[in-house]
Amino acid sequence: MRTWSSLAEFESFLEEGGIVEPGDQMPEEYRLAVFRFIELHANSELMGGLCERDWIPRAPGLARKLSILAKTQDEIGHAHLLYMVAADLRVKTREEMLADLFAGRSKFHNVFHYPTLSWGDQVAIAFLVDAAALAAQQAVFKNCSYGPYRRILRRVIAEEGFHMRQGEEMLLALAEGTADQHAMFQASLDRWWWPALQLFGPPARPDDPLLRWKIKSETNDVLRDRYVQKYAPLLTDYGFTIPDPGLRYDAETRRWEMGEVDWAPLFATFRQGGPDSERRIGTARRAFEDTAWVRAALDAAAARLAGAAA
Amino acid sequence: MAPDPAAVRAAVAAVCDPEYPDLTIEELGMLEAVAVAGADVEVALTPTVFGCPALAMIERDVRAAAEAVPGVGRVRVTLLDEPRWSPDRIAPAARAVLAAQYTISIRGADGSVICPVCGSREVAERSAYGPTRCRSIAYCAACSNPVEVIRLTEAGERAQP
Repeated sequence: MRTWSSLAEFESFLEEGGIVEPGDQMPEEYRLAVFRFIELHANSELMGGLCERDWIPRAPGLARKLSILAKTQDEIGHAHLLYMVAADLRVKTREEMLADLFAGRSKFHNVFHYPTLSWGDQVAIAFLVDAAALAAQQAVFKNCSYGPYRRILRRVIAEEGFHMRQGEEMLLALAEGTADQHAMFQASLDRWWWPALQLFGPPARPDDPLLRWKIKSETNDVLRDRYVQKYAPLLTDYGFTIPDPGLRYDAETRRWEMGEVDWAPLFATFRQGGPDSERRIGTARRAFEDTAWVRAALDAAAARLAGAAA
Repeated sequence: MAPDPAAVRAAVAAVCDPEYPDLTIEELGMLEAVAVAGADVEVALTPTVFGCPALAMIERDVRAAAEAVPGVGRVRVTLLDEPRWSPDRIAPAARAVLAAQYTISIRGADGSVICPVCGSREVAERSAYGPTRCRSIAYCAACSNPVEVIRLTEAGERAQP
């Protein structure tokens, strides 16, 4: 169990790459900042898993169905792990975190506040959104000062990399498919390009505490820009149009410059006011309420086993 | 010109698991056999679990690896029902990577799990269902870290103490 005599000493510890563990006497500001970040991640995995679940019965073909099944399990498994780690920070219990999520009091990533209208949307999510999530996770893992979170992220990143490869395969199938398939993905790209870009968060604050606490390693804007440099040309090469009228390639700087960003949709999701926020949260709440009998049965079985063993 | 069987074997054995990019299918015990007859190659794999979503990708990667070897003609990849995969097919070096890099443990013959972070045996299962079909979720009470545990086959788990 480590202690630090001052905030400055703690910050030097982080600066030198020190890893904080659950038993350490960490500064309260650090504890709260790390907790909120992990809670956001846990909520997003749970909400993401429930989004993926919608497509299990609708996937085109058994191979895709298997992928979606596995991806759903993947996200729920991650949520489970992350809620465990968040709860150990002793800010909220898991029950409190779930209650806050289902009541719309806590946040989850913007991309899960949108409806998925076609299979093309699933492909856009697998290709664009997972790539954005992976970039964000890698940037956290690079410096991540909180041990238990860092250890989970290593696996999450490996799994996200796999999802991205699958996303690329799914995209290729549509890009090189029929005119209808191509058009379907274009319509999805029109819907998902901006939400994917906004997954990185709003324009960076110069004093982002998550940078100070060595959780994030780069600002939101740097990550977003890197993403645009990679995916704008890639999608353009596949014959798609990025839905940004201001996007242009500067031949001199050899960079893609974005047009103006409308941040209103992102901020709407922060207030649970996204296009599908209310329905998604309602689905999550009902899923929890409808499975109360399962938890009750498991608890009763455990109690009976404990009684029998006594 | 016939392909060099050793080269074919080496190429296929070096294919990495899509979810553990630094571990090969050979180290993970999934590569059962590589047979070379003339220009034809047959690779037999044992999947960790049926229903693994990465199997199609592994098959494609194995095929691509074999086809890249000079002289290789037809490549056939089969997934075997028998022998069944089990965690004791994982090579010791790979176990060490799983523990150190991924915080993944393998259950001992006595059913115990050693925490890869702190070495304690105070590791209790929390859920049979991890993020993947091949792993369950446990938790080390000594150091407060979640630990994922490679699952046995169903028969193997039923036989556990």
